[in-house]
Amino acid sequence: MVILRWVLVNNYGRYPERKQSFVRDRQKKYQMAGTKEIKRRIKSVKNTKKITKAMELVAASKMKRAVASTLASRLYAGYSWEVLTSIAKNIEENSHPLFTEREKKGGVKANVLLVLITSNRGLCGSYNAQVIKKTISFLKSQNINLDPVRSRSLEHESATVTSGRPASNGVDIVSVGKKGDVAMRRLGVNVVATFADLSNNISLTEVVPISKFTIDEYILLHYDKVLVAYTDFISALNQKPNIKQILPVSKTELQDLINNLAPTPGEVGVPTESVGREKSISYLIEGDMNTLIGSLAEKITRMQIYQMLLESNASEQSSRMVAMKNASDASGEMIDDLTLVFNKARQGNITREISEISAGMASVS
Amino acid sequence: MSKQLKLKIITPERLVLEEMVDQVTLPTTEGEITILPEHIPLIAGLASGDIVAVVNGEHVPMAVAGGFMEIKQGENKITEVAILADFAEHVSEISDEKIEKAKARAIELEKQMENKDHVDFEHFEAELERSLTRVKIADKWRTRKYRK
Repeated sequence: MVILRWVLVNNYGRYPERKQSFVRDRQKKYQMAGTKEIKRRIKSVKNTKKITKAMELVAASKMKRAVASTLASRLYAGYSWEVLTSIAKNIEENSHPLFTEREKKGGVKANVLLVLITSNRGLCGSYNAQVIKKTISFLKSQNINLDPVRSRSLEHESATVTSGRPASNGVDIVSVGKKGDVAMRRLGVNVVATFADLSNNISLTEVVPISKFTIDEYILLHYDKVLVAYTDFISALNQKPNIKQILPVSKTELQDLINNLAPTPGEVGVPTESVGREKSISYLIEGDMNTLIGSLAEKITRMQIYQMLLESNASEQSSRMVAMKNASDASGEMIDDLTLVFNKARQGNITREISEISAGMASVS
Repeated sequence: MSKQLKLKIITPERLVLEEMVDQVTLPTTEGEITILPEHIPLIAGLASGDIVAVVNGEHVPMAVAGGFMEIKQGENKITEVAILADFAEHVSEISDEKIEKAKARAIELEKQMENKDHVDFEHFEAELERSLTRVKIADKWRTRKYRK
């Protein structure tokens, strides 16, 4: 027996130390266990592996679709940006509330609305944890500078009174997806709205309520800034949680976003910097300029939220895919280990039986 | 060959159409306009309705719901018309089956709208307009000839 164990341990020499002790523990645990029990265990691990494998494949195909739609919206983003800059050149862009930075006097904190995009379902690795962690650290950074008195600037007092909305820490949350909602409520942050019933294939109409809500709240002066916490899809193996400002529409952020959309600039008809911008064209504008700009800004905001949802969706699926791949791999290893233990136990039984029989024979003869 | 303009119809979901056309008629917020090649640069909002492009005397109708259009002189002196629509679909894509669905959906949405709160209402409004536009435009083009 001792020799047998020595052989087994040596066989595991290719595993790191941690793994070795783990395997040894498992062996100890099942040493005395009957073969039947080990067999049952193997069966259950095999079933788990089947499920994780299926989930991996599903996530992979969903990811492909999500990435494709992310790329498809790139063209629209590029063009709407172009139209915006064309208009902005002609007029004083800061005349519209969606474009103006609201200055805060006397160190009064701006009220922030944070849209947190997470998934509805779990089993997707650290996807939700990462973006929630990012949000929490953002909230902490806000709280440090927080005035002890929950004060709003005088000019906004009237708006506050009419709204009757509780001003929490100057940061309110709109949660998209159940996981983030649960996490934020647990933290006791003020969640003003929840959107949890988005489908896997997000369409633009589903984004309308979210963008409408945020824009309305912003225009009513309830908030001075609207941020979105989402997960940036960099590659299938790499996603980065990110917080971006969407209102007021800041040109640099928007430009960044659009540049990020195109991995290689100028590809697939995305209007590049130079086209149509070097020569300033004076556009004839039909209809009222301000309403036009207003609705354009709304569309751009909606487009941005849509884009971020797509990115987050792609990230979710890819991190689920990776998590499920790891799980299937781990269960594969576990099956190997357990099979080894099972064989060992079976061999042990046979050896014991033989020795019993031969001992019996010896005593008889 | 006579001059043509470059028409692009783009939605957030996809590039619906990119083609050289002779002229295009579209519904703006101020009323219907027809654009011919060499049009001066123009920016306008779009209403719901149909965009009709004309290629070699054939009509190419598209259903749209809301958005923007931009006309500019592109490279090689070609007039470019970019339409950024929230929703756009070629009329031939709207089959009878889809129309029935859209009608049913519109009725259902109208019912649902009565007992929904404000936030959901926005969603339904957009969906409803989309469904109604589909039905209207499909009915309009049912008896006419157009290029598939």
